[in-house]
Amino acid sequence: MATTLVDHSALKVNQTGIVATVLIAFVGSAAYRPLLLLIPALSIVLLLGTFAPNLALFKQIYFKVLKPRGIVKPTPVQDTPEPHNFAQGMGGVVLALSSVLLIALPVAGLALSLLVAVLAFVNLAFGYCLGCQIYFQLGRAGLIKAAQ
Amino acid sequence: MSPQLLALAVAGVVVLAAVCVETLRSRTARRRAVGVTAEAIGAPYILYFTGEGCTVCKTHQEPALAKLGEVRVDRVDAIAERMLADKFHVYTLPTTVVMSADGRALHVNYGYAPANKLERQLTDARVLPIGAPATA
Repeated sequence: MATTLVDHSALKVNQTGIVATVLIAFVGSAAYRPLLLLIPALSIVLLLGTFAPNLALFKQIYFKVLKPRGIVKPTPVQDTPEPHNFAQGMGGVVLALSSVLLIALPVAGLALSLLVAVLAFVNLAFGYCLGCQIYFQLGRAGLIKAAQ
Repeated sequence: MSPQLLALAVAGVVVLAAVCVETLRSRTARRRAVGVTAEAIGAPYILYFTGEGCTVCKTHQEPALAKLGEVRVDRVDAIAERMLADKFHVYTLPTTVVMSADGRALHVNYGYAPANKLERQLTDARVLPIGAPATA
């Protein structure tokens, strides 16, 4: 795996976006149910961003708005982007599953989306990335070639 | 009860269960790893298990290790040197192992270990007589 400069501020803006969107959907849906549509929308945003970084909404907000205006300062770190992309994709998949569950089992769907927000918050606040740890375990098991 | 409150309770239970499982896993791995032997260099040193994809290693663990001053830190790629990582039951990155002068694992930290914690563990390792049993 090749290291490159990864702007950790972009990752933090992405995590903040995930936490904020899920919280708005979660709390807001108590009063206005259509806000639950934010969950599948977030899932699409995360999955699109995983495969096409130019379509990563929150990162683009950072690169096109927050960074140029000096609202958020860049934090470049010599790092590998793959584990972060994997974690983002995993979040997208779990939110997609949560979106399906929202139709039949709303409590399970809401709980699952809340767990994604909790993990994004833990990453944002403490730097612990569960998706990255899973990526490491898969690499160790030889299931991800890039990690070897 | 509203679905939001029920979901909050479910998520809370899952988080609590995950914390318990992680604590148990960490304790079990630590119990197995303490006392495991590696190279003896006549002075305490640190085995630092890391990997290219480990962000916390770069942003937190390496600055903490840099604060320790005069101590040898052996950097080990946990994926490339899998046998050594398995020997110390490394299941997460970073993992730091404080080794005694006679090459026994005295303290094993799974996850980020701050500089003051490592400093304390190194002090333990420095005062420990060679051949004394590992306790933590």
